[in-house]
Amino acid sequence: MMFGSADALVQLAIKSRDPYVAAAVHELATGITKLELEALICGTRRTALAIARWEHTPASVLTALAGVHDEAIELRLDKNPGTSSSVLSGLYEEARSKDKAGLTKLIAQHLNSGTEVLRRIALHANDSECLLALSKNPAANAKVLAELSERASGSDIAVAIHKNIAQNASASAELLTRIFDASDVYTQAAILGHANCLAWLIAKAAASEEVLMMRVLARNRRVSKESLQRYAACEDAGVRAGVAANALTPVALFRHLIKDKSELVRREVASRVDLSEEHIEALSRDDDIWVRQRIARSPTTSLDVLYRLAVDAVADVRRAVARNSMSTVHLLNMLAEDKNAWVRSGVAYQANASQRILMKLADDKDVDVLSGVANNPNTPQSILKELVSSNEADVRRGVILNKSAARNTLLPLLEDPYYLHRVLLVHNPHLQAQDKWSLRDDPDFQVRFSVYRWAANICLKMPDTFLVTK
Amino acid sequence: MKILVAVKQTAALEEDFEIRDDGLDVDEDFMMYDLNEWDDFSLEEAMKIKESSDTEVEVVVVSVGPDRVDESLRKCLAKGADRAVRVWDGAAEGSDAIVVGRILTEVIKKEAPDMVFAGVQSSDQAYASTGISVASYLNWPHAAVVADLQYKPGDNKAVIRRELEGGMLQEVEINCPAVLTIQLGINKPRYASLRGIKQAATKPIEEVSLADIGLSANDVGAAQSMSRVRRMYIPEKGRATMIEGTISEQAAKIIQIINEFKGA
Repeated sequence: MMFGSADALVQLAIKSRDPYVAAAVHELATGITKLELEALICGTRRTALAIARWEHTPASVLTALAGVHDEAIELRLDKNPGTSSSVLSGLYEEARSKDKAGLTKLIAQHLNSGTEVLRRIALHANDSECLLALSKNPAANAKVLAELSERASGSDIAVAIHKNIAQNASASAELLTRIFDASDVYTQAAILGHANCLAWLIAKAAASEEVLMMRVLARNRRVSKESLQRYAACEDAGVRAGVAANALTPVALFRHLIKDKSELVRREVASRVDLSEEHIEALSRDDDIWVRQRIARSPTTSLDVLYRLAVDAVADVRRAVARNSMSTVHLLNMLAEDKNAWVRSGVAYQANASQRILMKLADDKDVDVLSGVANNPNTPQSILKELVSSNEADVRRGVILNKSAARNTLLPLLEDPYYLHRVLLVHNPHLQAQDKWSLRDDPDFQVRFSVYRWAANICLKMPDTFLVTK
Repeated sequence: MKILVAVKQTAALEEDFEIRDDGLDVDEDFMMYDLNEWDDFSLEEAMKIKESSDTEVEVVVVSVGPDRVDESLRKCLAKGADRAVRVWDGAAEGSDAIVVGRILTEVIKKEAPDMVFAGVQSSDQAYASTGISVASYLNWPHAAVVADLQYKPGDNKAVIRRELEGGMLQEVEINCPAVLTIQLGINKPRYASLRGIKQAATKPIEEVSLADIGLSANDVGAAQSMSRVRRMYIPEKGRATMIEGTISEQAAKIIQIINEFKGA
């Protein structure tokens, strides 16, 4: 029988005496049973430290561990990305009362730290490392960053803090504008690249001859076409590459850009999806491999050009054709015979590859080719069943990740020697509940945790569900 | 035919750890134990010989250590080792690699294997001397840092390739029995199958006392060791500097540093 209810699942976890299983179902428990689970989780300091550090530990467990009041555990909670805002708030009080600047810095940079805690750090922390960490944290809202900027003004770290704020997504237009004039060119360039930068500031800066600013502005969709034309003639390749990458660049400029002396510029042009046949034709004959590779991968490249690139001397270009979503079965059939395994592998991963091509590639000896066949949803189930017994973990993982792999194909993989494969199977939609539940006593703690967590999530989402299997 | 593989359970450290109050080691709470990485390759090499042989080959893993070491020995059994032996006595605490080598030697004399494999070094202490000290006590031929092995059960010679500086390999013919310390990358260690893990859980681990191998507390431990740890500490931080600034500024500073190193 599978677990019947949330209570039954918690009881099974307690019976298992496994701290990771206890952590998986902790969120479901209340009262005494919750305490019993916590006794398992904190059974030894060593276990408590490991669970406090583990990135998969549920937030409710991290909250419980905060009650242990062990500095080594608190350090791990400050670092754990799953620690909740309320726990971080409590840890901040503790760190502040003990004057632990190192711990405060961790809270200042934590993405889950609440606005109030971050605001208090901005207003009261005296350690420059804490303030610098806070200025980088996108969880700090515009108001907190403004207060931090205000407090830092005139101090030794003002410049460094403003550099970080210029790159912080939460910085407001008003703050960025205020920082702009007093900043060096690096910070000004970062502000011009910020999504919240005001249009008039961009327009004003467009006249600048500073290379750093022009590099940023050349990529910005808010600059005028006139500015783009000026940047296209700039001596600096980075500026011209920006123009080549800008979606608003007028088509008229492509004629020059496709012949640019810098391959960096030509590569950017080759990545565009609005090129004319004439441009594609020219770039497909470029000396630079990466330019040809990008054209070979582009969905706008014509079949004629793709056929020519399919016999390119460079395997990476041929592979790009094999990966192109517009490549036809005929073209793929040709590339499936390529002497280079990396090219054949590209065909094996192709969504357009026919069953016939995939059956042919299934006889290949190369692990990358076989991994592609295993991953491909078009591969016949009979082939997938054979690949399940491959000695190569990458190939078996391909079958697990294959969206078309049926339950019967996947069942033998429940015995896969690689624990990560068994973890993946717990999340596989084609397997039934009893299949996943069969892994509950797995030798690897991560698999056991995944199974119980999966079961706990069912209970959390559908509390009235009574799950029973044979 | 018997191959004995000497293995060790090593400790990896967490990112944040504390030194013990006596200052001689890291607090055990901050250690994560696992089979020594090099020993995974030694065992795999023994398993390859066993599986490709027409004659019966027994692979015995031996370790010196407390109860917790059983977990690593079971891992070896799960991967196909036939037997596992663990030697321990509280008096052995603090033994250096040479004393551990002596303990292993007494087990080897009892087991009488045809070949002995060990890892080049342990990942936690890195003395790289246990295997070589065993060879010395046994007065057997030995080769260190073995990156390739050609050997069939019953052969009185093995051909090995040793990894040297500069990517060079040295091909050596060695008389057998011999002690070989195996280098990483010599093979591709297998994962234990679930069936193997389940079977290993029920297999006995032979616990051997010092008396069983003709040693006493007076032969082992820190007092009998030729080296002793005086203290363990974290040295003062070096001159590393974080490159701060905006992304373009960091890139400019890195270019400047590279140019300075190139003398530009």
